[in-house]
Amino acid sequence: MSPLAERAVGLALELDRLSYRYAGAESLALEEVSLTIEPGEFIVLAGGSGSGKTSLLRAGCGLIPHFHGGEISGSARVGDRSTTENGPGDLADVVGYVAQDPETQIVSTTVAAELDLPLRFRGDHPAQRARAVEEVALALGIPHLLSRTVTTLSGGELQRVALAVALVTRPPLILLDEPTSQLDPVSGDELIWLLRRLNEEWGVAVVLAEHRLERCLAAADRVIAMDSGRIGFDGSPRDFLGWAIEAKPELATPSALMFSGAGIEPLPVGVRDARHILRKSVDRSASIHPSIGRVNEPTSGKVVLAARRLWVELDPGEGSVDVLRGIDLEVRAGEKVALMGRNGAGKSTMLRTAAGLVEPVSGSVATPEGIALLTQNPGDFLVRDRVGDELSGPAGEAALEAVGLDVSAERDPRDLSGGERQRLALAIALAGRMEGDGVPGIICLDEPTRGMDRGLKSHLTELADRLADQGAAVLISTHDVEFAVSFADRVVLLGDGETIADADMPTVLSGGWYFASEAARVLDRPGLVSIDQGIDLLAGHGEEGH
Amino acid sequence: MKKLSPIAYVPRRETVQTASLAPVALYLGAYLLVCFFSSDPLVLIAATVGAAVAGYGSGAGRAVNFSLKLGAFLALTMIVVNALVTSRGATVLARLGDWPLLGQVDVTAEAIAAGGVIGLRVMGTMVVIGVWSACVDPDRILQAVHGVARRSALTATLISRLVPLAATDYARIGEAAALRGPAAAPVGRGAMAHRLLAGSLDRAVDVAATLELRGYGKSGESVRFKRIPSRYDRRFWIAGGILMAIALAELLYGSGRFDSYPEISYSVRVEGPLAAVAFLAGGAITWRKGRR
Repeated sequence: MSPLAERAVGLALELDRLSYRYAGAESLALEEVSLTIEPGEFIVLAGGSGSGKTSLLRAGCGLIPHFHGGEISGSARVGDRSTTENGPGDLADVVGYVAQDPETQIVSTTVAAELDLPLRFRGDHPAQRARAVEEVALALGIPHLLSRTVTTLSGGELQRVALAVALVTRPPLILLDEPTSQLDPVSGDELIWLLRRLNEEWGVAVVLAEHRLERCLAAADRVIAMDSGRIGFDGSPRDFLGWAIEAKPELATPSALMFSGAGIEPLPVGVRDARHILRKSVDRSASIHPSIGRVNEPTSGKVVLAARRLWVELDPGEGSVDVLRGIDLEVRAGEKVALMGRNGAGKSTMLRTAAGLVEPVSGSVATPEGIALLTQNPGDFLVRDRVGDELSGPAGEAALEAVGLDVSAERDPRDLSGGERQRLALAIALAGRMEGDGVPGIICLDEPTRGMDRGLKSHLTELADRLADQGAAVLISTHDVEFAVSFADRVVLLGDGETIADADMPTVLSGGWYFASEAARVLDRPGLVSIDQGIDLLAGHGEEGH
Repeated sequence: MKKLSPIAYVPRRETVQTASLAPVALYLGAYLLVCFFSSDPLVLIAATVGAAVAGYGSGAGRAVNFSLKLGAFLALTMIVVNALVTSRGATVLARLGDWPLLGQVDVTAEAIAAGGVIGLRVMGTMVVIGVWSACVDPDRILQAVHGVARRSALTATLISRLVPLAATDYARIGEAAALRGPAAAPVGRGAMAHRLLAGSLDRAVDVAATLELRGYGKSGESVRFKRIPSRYDRRFWIAGGILMAIALAELLYGSGRFDSYPEISYSVRVEGPLAAVAFLAGGAITWRKGRR
């Protein structure tokens, strides 16, 4: 029996009436959860923020209850080991876990040392360790990172390394908590299909918690949807979409919403499936307007951000590199701009340079009407124990009003929900910069949708609209194409420190493979990017076709 | 691309970075010990300068500069606070009248001198910690800790990772502080320190969880980490041994006698300047031939 098979005795994961409450919490994080996962299954774990996905994964790897404490009842088993009786260290060779934040998952100085560590703890022979590190690096496309210091890695690179570490011991079960949240669309898709390949070739059972289901549903054998700590649905991806349309529309994928809105059956699991269904059910050669997308008129507001031949060099500790290379960018008041591009393309550096945190080596950047920037971790802005201590006086109240946040001054910022904390942090960045027209000329947010479910993203879209209505330009760097479709008028695409596309949103986000919305990828019409546009097209088309 | 904390560890092929952990710990430990316990200003200044020279010699100039700046700020704070809260001392430089909470405030030369000695200790300590953090690979510390704390990933994390985590958080929170609107409450050093400590401990717990997931505490099994010898080990063993002996002698017997109260008095014995020269010269052993 192979080592993998030896370790995969019994079910990959079995939960029996598992209930769990975090220490000090009032409500249960998991309530009477029972499920079984067979070896080699690929499961997508769906659910909104706070529905219990992360708790379920933690229970599967022993962090619950051994690390988080709290009260637990029922049982959880990985293979033949009980996770309530064995701690995470004892389960390390049978289950791999990748948490949301890659920065806290890296404990070594170099990538090679990080990959080697779990093998050392397991007591593997040096030759076996070297082979395993090489293999997993090749499998994940990171051999060039092996000698790199972890502090020099981008978020996307860190995420890949974290996944590689979880896989290096070849565990029969791997649990992943939103592993694509920091990845660009290309890397995100690559990661999902890599997981599928590992699942098929190595027989690893995969449990993948994700908010962006359109990315991963097509790879799944089965979907489990969590709802308030309970299992709301457990079945095939197609059945899940039917259930979601009826019970939880916010969990349905864009193509499922589009097909449902247009009355087309069955609901598609992924782009390929959607195209296949359309080929069978709709005559795609019938008359379709060549372009039905909205093309925005150039905004005529004041220039609030002007970058001219902007070059920025940064030294991540291993010598200087050009991060921005001759960027020309102009943003006008009232514009809503999505800044997109692959990991390491220079998006964050662009925003930080505009905000004055980084000095360009040549060229210039000007924000004549002022700028506010919210960095990737809103928690970094929250340093006091009361909201009222962070923001006080009329300027503080005006900032809270501008972001639409109405919470007691006595609240501890750390007790606010994720969305509320983000708004509070943005209000802190805005406070006192709101004289004159009411808001600074440009408001920038760096990757604000990480870990957000669709409900929170729609609140963020409303916030961007609200700020733009007050006269500010809103510039958001994001990897989330669907969010960019809902929020932006214009998209600037960076590649390797250069602007490679700058046009209105429908032009950039339609007709592509990766930087394209799901509606665009399914229907492939110039300018068609949104679900509503897709429904209009398909509904009209459906009538013609029938 | 992330901004690197000035005291973050960067692998370099310099002496401190490539030497084994034990001799480096002995060497820098001697500096730390003397900075913590010596009351002789001459020795304290020499140890601080020596540690800074050691840092520069190891290519950790950014860390040294950062530590010197932070240490100087803390030292100045010590001097001001001590001058205001301590009225002891015979040489009154200024009578500042009755202050709320403090009462009669008399600024004395002795209180300033006493604050200066405490400040020198703090500055020296900061420089040694900065050099340690920037030059000593946390992986080696983790491996060493694993030998003595096999079951506790949290202990291992706190020892090997707390300073790097705090350094990373400091850079990030400092950046966020610079982005706060002018009407938001400014991030004072107290609030920053509080947030830094709480945040670093939270993150240390997360990192400890990761270590457990890697199999750190598995059944308490011993893992043998291969020791990587360095040609610089001998140099650090010898220098570290001598400096540690001097530091212990300084701790037990004292060299120069410095008293702040009731009047400033400083009696220099021959051991004081000798210890100062040793710690000053000791900093130069990190420099190597051919270093650019």
